[in-house]
Amino acid sequence: MKYILMMNGKKSDFEGYAGWSKEDLQANVSFMRAFSKELKDSGVFVSTEGLGWPSEAKLVKAGKNGEPITDGVFPESKEFLAGYWIIDVESQEQAYKVAARASQAPGPGGKPGNMPIEVRRVLSNASDLQG
Amino acid sequence: MKYILLMSGTAAGVEGYHAWPKQDIEAHMAVLHRINKDLAESGEFVATQGLAGPKEAKVVRGEKNGVPVTDGIFPESKEFLLGYWIVDVPNAERAYAIAGRISAASVNMPIEVRQFATHEAKSR
Repeated sequence: MKYILMMNGKKSDFEGYAGWSKEDLQANVSFMRAFSKELKDSGVFVSTEGLGWPSEAKLVKAGKNGEPITDGVFPESKEFLAGYWIIDVESQEQAYKVAARASQAPGPGGKPGNMPIEVRRVLSNASDLQG
Repeated sequence: MKYILLMSGTAAGVEGYHAWPKQDIEAHMAVLHRINKDLAESGEFVATQGLAGPKEAKVVRGEKNGVPVTDGIFPESKEFLLGYWIVDVPNAERAYAIAGRISAASVNMPIEVRQFATHEAKSR
């Protein structure tokens, strides 16, 4: 079963992260690299991506003639996707375990960040969308 | 340049969608499939995924010993990711145009457009 593990954060969280010391940022990035390698080595890795910053985010709606209307203003409470992992595991419990590991990525001062990771099942085919 | 187009909605929004008549949902899905097909033909398609509904969503944190602590309670205003498209396009405008097409197909739902982090792209 495929699951997506998502890291979300408000704009202020992103700004906070950018303000971490160089060592803390490096420790966090090293953890993420090692974590991706662990997922690959254990055979559960499907894909991972990091997204560009909220300041670059746009919301697009179609106008009357289908033309895109873009808007870059979001409420402060808006949670932006920061990045995700897709894993293929045997059970929900295994997905939670992997998410808990991601949650322990080091934060400021090298302490586990305990950041919340949203876990969602990925639909195996589009017809499930109707389910 | 790779962009991700994110479709999000509240739990109430998802319930509303499931209450649509079957033929409306089928017509909606048919247009989305058509868009996927067009993206594949133009060589811009990278990936697309639909996610299971908000009811199954959990937030997980690791405790000190690494034990996962799960929580399934979200504020009503929480916007859940419903699905996404990843496209590889020459510029942001093209990504916006595709997002506009998806929006037009989906009762003018707003589609969030984000570029991938460039340092991630380089490390791949």
